[in-house]
Amino acid sequence: MGRWLTAFVLILAFASVGQAGETIGFVKTVTGSALVIDSGKAIPAKVGTPVKMGNTLRTGSGGSLGVTFKDNTVMSFGPDTELTVDEYFYTPGADKLKFSSSMSRGTLQVVSGVIAKLKPKAVTVKTPSAMIGCRGTRFLVKVDP
Amino acid sequence: MKAQLKTVLMIFVVLLFAAGCTTHKSYVVLMENADGTTGKLAVTGAGGEVVLEKPRTAADLDGRAGAPFAVAEDVLKRDFGPALAAQPPLPESFLLYYKTGGTVLTEESRALIPAVLEATGKHPAPDVSVIGHTDTIGDSAANEKLALQRAQAVAEIIQRAGLQVHDLTVTSHGEKNLLIPTPDNTDEPRNRRVEVTVR
Repeated sequence: MGRWLTAFVLILAFASVGQAGETIGFVKTVTGSALVIDSGKAIPAKVGTPVKMGNTLRTGSGGSLGVTFKDNTVMSFGPDTELTVDEYFYTPGADKLKFSSSMSRGTLQVVSGVIAKLKPKAVTVKTPSAMIGCRGTRFLVKVDP
Repeated sequence: MKAQLKTVLMIFVVLLFAAGCTTHKSYVVLMENADGTTGKLAVTGAGGEVVLEKPRTAADLDGRAGAPFAVAEDVLKRDFGPALAAQPPLPESFLLYYKTGGTVLTEESRALIPAVLEATGKHPAPDVSVIGHTDTIGDSAANEKLALQRAQAVAEIIQRAGLQVHDLTVTSHGEKNLLIPTPDNTDEPRNRRVEVTVR
């Protein structure tokens, strides 16, 4: 019985963070209008709203949003901003580390977390004309398309 | 007359410079971390790559790989004020250690538990992760299991102590996230830890 329970818990633990549907972070701050868009469905962001891989985060004019991810990456968004989390893999035990996102407009602060620390270049922000690769740092991005 | 021409020329240069300052539509700025250190950024586009290494230097995101430029404090405030203000509290991590060879926490580690509970009160919708780590003695699959067992034991301890959170995850990084970098098969007590992070 004990052995089965251990096996079950191990299966849960080995399931990698970053599969579709799995929570990779939570909304921590919101002002004004902000949305978490999950498979085309827009959910008004509230403190505690989960964020999943593939989700788009969008703020309206006057809105702002702060999200903390499982690897301690902290992102905060100014008004009229849109960013999609393309890929998020945080399973160091299986050497699976990646956090790639695309930002189409707005302003963003990133405080990088464990993924950037363990694997240089695994954290990227794609903008319409350039790609930003991060090696363990805080940075600010403005995209004015 | 000559002096007048010089003045006009100077005004022209200043205007040109000012115009140059306002042409950065899309850009990225390297900033220092909370602990004072700074990492690096690489910006790649059709025109090549620019690397930023000095804090508060920036690169255009037009893909042309132009030279890095400095960004003044008032420009940062103007462009990024709301994004900076929306920053959630940074995650806080606590390292807990077992007494050698068992699943009993050291005195120092047990004393940290009230601080873990207190930290949850400072974070909106606090989510906590408990991550087990080992040193590099033995094979990595066995270490991943061992670290998970240690993490589960700590999760039980902090839950019994009254942890109230939005979300709790218990995982293992085995020997793949060392606190003290070592070669393989190295006995390092500081790497055999359970990391509790409050976000």
